Amino acid sequence: MSTVHYFLEDADFDPFVEGMMKTAAVHAPVSRKHRFVFAPVASAKDVRLDYDVTILPPKKVIFPVRQDLVTFDPAGAASAIRPEPMILFGVHFYDIKAIDMLDTLFRENNEDWNYLAQREATTIVGSNIQSISPRAFWGTVGRGVKPRGHDAFLTKLPSGYVFSAYTPKGEKLLSCGKFSPATAAQTAEATQVNEEIMSKCPESLPYASEEIADKVRKAFTNKLWDEFSLTCFSCGTCNIVCPTCYCFDVQDNWNLDQVSGQRTRAWDGCLLEDFAKVSQGGGACENFREHRGQRYRHRIMRKAAYLNEKLGGPACVGCGRCAAQCVPDIADPARVIQSIMEG
Amino acid sequence: MSTQIDPAGSAYPNIFLPREAEIVRAEQVTATEKHFTLKMKDGQPMSFEPGQMLEVSVFGFGEIPIGFASSPTRINTFDIVVRKVGRVSSAIAALQPKQSLFVRGPLGHGFPLDKFRGENVLVVAGGIGLCPTRSLILYILDRRSEFKNFTLFFGARTPKEQLFLDDLAAWRKSSDVNYFETVDRADESWTGNVGVITTLFKKVAVDPKTKVVICGPPVMYKFVVAELGSLGVAKSDIYLDLERRMKCGIGKCGHCQINDKYVCLDGPVFCLKDIENLEEAFR
Repeated sequence: MSTVHYFLEDADFDPFVEGMMKTAAVHAPVSRKHRFVFAPVASAKDVRLDYDVTILPPKKVIFPVRQDLVTFDPAGAASAIRPEPMILFGVHFYDIKAIDMLDTLFRENNEDWNYLAQREATTIVGSNIQSISPRAFWGTVGRGVKPRGHDAFLTKLPSGYVFSAYTPKGEKLLSCGKFSPATAAQTAEATQVNEEIMSKCPESLPYASEEIADKVRKAFTNKLWDEFSLTCFSCGTCNIVCPTCYCFDVQDNWNLDQVSGQRTRAWDGCLLEDFAKVSQGGGACENFREHRGQRYRHRIMRKAAYLNEKLGGPACVGCGRCAAQCVPDIADPARVIQSIMEG
Repeated sequence: MSTQIDPAGSAYPNIFLPREAEIVRAEQVTATEKHFTLKMKDGQPMSFEPGQMLEVSVFGFGEIPIGFASSPTRINTFDIVVRKVGRVSSAIAALQPKQSLFVRGPLGHGFPLDKFRGENVLVVAGGIGLCPTRSLILYILDRRSEFKNFTLFFGARTPKEQLFLDDLAAWRKSSDVNYFETVDRADESWTGNVGVITTLFKKVAVDPKTKVVICGPPVMYKFVVAELGSLGVAKSDIYLDLERRMKCGIGKCGHCQINDKYVCLDGPVFCLKDIENLEEAFR
């Protein structure tokens, strides 16, 4: 379908959210002290579309931190795929790009319906960026990769919101609120708002994605990986807060009855020491990325080079979460890549 | 326990839902290795190529990737060998005939048999590297006329760690395979070659026009590759069967990556020319 633009008055925003809440669980940015998280919305007043960035990316709604894959009991094993209708509301464009990358990666080669089923049951409504996080560089990274896969997008104007519906799922939300057709001037203003924000990031990576991929890949044996990772705790925070990281561990868990349980996947991180370690028996083991520098390098390679062919650009959307949350502050891809490009 | 797909979840295929396989034979072959012969409970034979693998699990303990140790020419059952090293492998090793294992597979790419037919073949196997290569070895022996010269090098750390003793006894006598063996450390029973596996290259002249398969501990590959290089074997004729940590087996979980390649999807069998420039391929 072609994009259709509507207008929502400020006064009609809360009723719209409440209308959506009657149709499905709504997950939206809400505040936790001075920071923000995506959480199920209990009251429309809690929704904070003026957030800068959330602690964890909204991928957690579709690809949960822990997710049962299979359940088992003495009678047999069963699939644990149980999608539920969900509205993921107020997603910034960089996180929309990241979810689209996950869609590609969970669909390619072997379709993983443990992800795809919930993805299909989710309606994604984007929203424009009203405040900018201190380490963002989404204005410049992967400019060739456009946000895709969302159903609608909301842009804040001084007197209300322009609601752009891109899919039938997005259009369906119109019945949840009081919309009027947007005027040409309102649509043009929304476009301008979304374009202007792009130049306002505190950090930038002013290079073509192909150029970055090439230089980063060629820097594989560069000593900078060891230098940058000298103070790395191998804590995996950079992985956990990343909207495009999707590595996971799979473990079995027993229920208290000790006869039934679940096979569960949980987010994992390539920065963690054991990520590539195999046991060889008798206490011997082989760790294929034994050193911090090797693990640190692998993450940047994955973000800047390895996945580019599949994704049409880098697997980094410039949200700045890893940079902001890394304790020794060494995880910022913009700084590492900048250093390679200048080197 | 039989695998029943819950109707509520059946609208979506679940790639993590395993199939049940019954243990028809189980033999403790060394202090730590146990050899299982399995048969699918659903009556659908496991269809695979030598070199492919499967995820094997015991519910409540977990899943591990294991290579097929039997030839697909033997269709009703298939073999795996499990080394007891951790939680899952210990749970598997405790199982007896008539009990069940749960499997997902076959996974990955095996040996390119079409490229091997009509050619000389050399298999270089170290330790439990003999398990996945046994699938190819038995395949070649079952269809011997389709291949030219067939040579097998097998190295174990000690004589007690040799696997498939019945097979080894047969191969020593067989005219279908030029079999050479070595141990790193001999005991009083051992009268054969002592030394690392590359010492076997002194025992026989390897034709540079040979398809070579290497499978063994991580440290072994670069030394065997160097030896083959000095003999003039082309990189495009050398195949490496590689091991990495693996969770999903379907190219998602990220654990088995070698640079941008996935061992579970692109391997576990790789042609040397495809990975020689991957810094993470060799130890």
